[in-house]
Amino acid sequence: MSLSDELRYWSGNALGLAALRVVRWQAEGRASSASGWESEFLAPPLKISPRTKELIGRHYLKGRYANLHQKVAWVTSGAPIEFLKALDFYVLYPENHGAVCGTMRVAEEICTQAENAGYSRDLCSYARTDIGSVLSGRTPVGRLPKPDLLLACTNICQTVLFWYRVLARHFAIPLILIDTPFIYTEVREHDIAFVKRQIEEAIPVAEKAAGKTLKADRLEEVARLSRAASQLWAEIIARGRHHPSPISVFDQFIQMAPVVEMRGEPFTVDFYAAMLKEVDGRIARGVGVVNNERKRLLWDNLPIWYRLRYLAEYLGRHGIAIVASTYTNAWGELANRIDTQDPIDGMARTYIYPILNRGTGDKLATMKRMIEEYGLDGVILHSDRSCKPYSIGQMDQRDRLIRECSLPAILLEADHNDPRAYSEEQVANRLDAFIEMME
Amino acid sequence: MDIPRRMDVIRDYRQRGGSVAAVFPIHYPRELLRAFDILPVEVWGPPRVSTSQGAAHLQPYVCSIVQNALSFLQSGGLDVVDLLLVPHTCDSLQGLGSILIDFIKPRQPVLTLYVPRGQRDSDVDFLADELRASYRLLEAITGRSPSDPELADAIRREEAADALLAELHRDRQRLPLSDEAFYRLIRSREYLPAEDFIEIAQAGRAGFHTRHTRRDGPDSRAGFQTRHTRRDGPESRAGFHTRHSQRDLNPALQGIPVILSGILPEPMSLFGALAEMGGRVAADDLACCGRRLYPAGQSADPFRHMAERIVGAPPDPTRGSPIQERLDHLLRLIEVSDAKGVVFYDIKFCEPELFDLPQLRQGLREAGIPSLALEVDINDQLSQPVLNRLAAFLEMIQ
Repeated sequence: MSLSDELRYWSGNALGLAALRVVRWQAEGRASSASGWESEFLAPPLKISPRTKELIGRHYLKGRYANLHQKVAWVTSGAPIEFLKALDFYVLYPENHGAVCGTMRVAEEICTQAENAGYSRDLCSYARTDIGSVLSGRTPVGRLPKPDLLLACTNICQTVLFWYRVLARHFAIPLILIDTPFIYTEVREHDIAFVKRQIEEAIPVAEKAAGKTLKADRLEEVARLSRAASQLWAEIIARGRHHPSPISVFDQFIQMAPVVEMRGEPFTVDFYAAMLKEVDGRIARGVGVVNNERKRLLWDNLPIWYRLRYLAEYLGRHGIAIVASTYTNAWGELANRIDTQDPIDGMARTYIYPILNRGTGDKLATMKRMIEEYGLDGVILHSDRSCKPYSIGQMDQRDRLIRECSLPAILLEADHNDPRAYSEEQVANRLDAFIEMME
Repeated sequence: MDIPRRMDVIRDYRQRGGSVAAVFPIHYPRELLRAFDILPVEVWGPPRVSTSQGAAHLQPYVCSIVQNALSFLQSGGLDVVDLLLVPHTCDSLQGLGSILIDFIKPRQPVLTLYVPRGQRDSDVDFLADELRASYRLLEAITGRSPSDPELADAIRREEAADALLAELHRDRQRLPLSDEAFYRLIRSREYLPAEDFIEIAQAGRAGFHTRHTRRDGPDSRAGFQTRHTRRDGPESRAGFHTRHSQRDLNPALQGIPVILSGILPEPMSLFGALAEMGGRVAADDLACCGRRLYPAGQSADPFRHMAERIVGAPPDPTRGSPIQERLDHLLRLIEVSDAKGVVFYDIKFCEPELFDLPQLRQGLREAGIPSLALEVDINDQLSQPVLNRLAAFLEMIQ
């Protein structure tokens, strides 16, 4: 990097960080008085929310100037990123960027850019958002850094492989594939050995792209920080077991960004430690996320990013809190598998095991366990047109939940990022019927 | 043409004491199943079945191949088979395999096979391990334990059939077969035992050799007919003659040559429609056909040998082949076949195909090759808009 590049990097970051801090202070000043969401039915937002926004803002700010200072890797959300972090890559998650676009309601416009280039509307809306952003340069976060390396891990879907092959050809850069055999019933030793070998073989490729050698102690440190953040996240979401629940899945959807895209960082651990303290404070004061919590639900699948507030308020008005989610749980349930002593073996054993890489029966068992542990009254299964691996199986899962747990359960047809596949009227009708069933 | 019907093949195989496996798309080792005296019979849908039973388990945004496969199974269409094998090909087939095991629980045992997404040594090693695991499961199911020489025999048989299949593809423009007849012949590999396929394919090639050595005299035509109509009655023989006599004698000189790319050519009436419009398929990049021209393996270890064959197959997005490799492969097919364009004939909701489409078409455009993208559902007849677009495309590239 040239001196002028370094100067631009540091000055851009310094100014941006100062601006983000001011925005955070202003938001913290307002937080106690106005949430923006219907305060009559819902508790005020977590006080840590402005800090979350600052963290996410800092992440994208750093990314904006990253090409001036360090190597950049784009990775799938469930990828074993510890060795990239240890090699000082700036790590960008296009899926998280997609979620930001969805939450800020610009995803449809960006998807259209991809569709105009020939990408079918039947493809995953995260992928279309990302490809549309790459092709048009449009993003609500200023600018995305160009990648030097791609890492795709098939533990969440095969879609990411198809998507990253498009990126690899577009950017003409190496694509590391970590292929994780799907666990229909049980993990076999040759599955683990395959994943471990791929990670071992990926490291020299990443070292070459980074221009540096991976240090064992640094990798162990990153693994330790990943594990610590994931453990704290698991503790936080487990607080939803309290009655009334101090935290909803809508909070979790927003607050999960750091554990997804900033694992392996000390500030992420500090952040979740502070968040846990705040959530525990709510429990001590008897504060529930829904003011008059009458019913408690489970959410299955990704969020509908562009309708979080609508759903929270709609359900909140009926005294319904969604307190648990298979999706947010996925980022905590594997925490104890992360091995800080033998990080590569630990990565293989951890990253083969997310919920999306396990069978449909296993997901049903997870849901049943959560129903029990969280004391739930019903289940909403978001049938997400853009996520086949999460959605296929839901029709049988719903039937089993109704039959075997004697709980109401509904499928909501939508798409996590593309509002064109969402009908508010239909959703409202189905939710009304569902609420009646629960009464 | 005298190609036995699928149901007859299944019945005969079972009567001989063998078992039958229904195998879902795309890649799997036929030789492993045959070593256990299990005949693999592939299930690509099938097209045009009632999807209501599958719709009780699968959302409407799952492709028609998977919807139909489940419906067909649940309506009793696969009652005659002893085993189900679901290769892990895509998210939809992953889901199908999983709900079969966890929820639907058919009468037959359900086996899955994870096909790795790379072409690295580690992929070959993993797949060899995966096949060893499958061997152990088949051992438990059948009570048989084929020896290495028995496995080697099965491999040799399948490699001979695959070599012949590759020759048919290579010589297709000189064979006295319409596109539809050609695809009926090569797709019989989806259910015929290798040895039966070899016999039929050799007959087809013999017809070609006879024709070419005798300069297309009437005798050779008669000879070809005789070989291929032994089972058919006079009506079907007449049908064969009528259907093929107009253009089969020297089809290489007829029609605008195009490459067909996609998963499978359904409905098969596509070929007749293409011929009527003045087009023909010069080569294909179809998952059920050209992407399964498996090379011979190299290793002495039978499991690694079988793995090498699958990993070494032509580029395929479901096995993670880079898009550039797919493009290079298409350009090679165009070069050797003199094709004038590429028709991407994709199944709706098929992500592996749809993701590659824009870059493949762009690459072809840069190489001066026109292309057409069509999207179909295997339950539909060819629609007029599809036919119109195909006709316009052929006119454009003429």
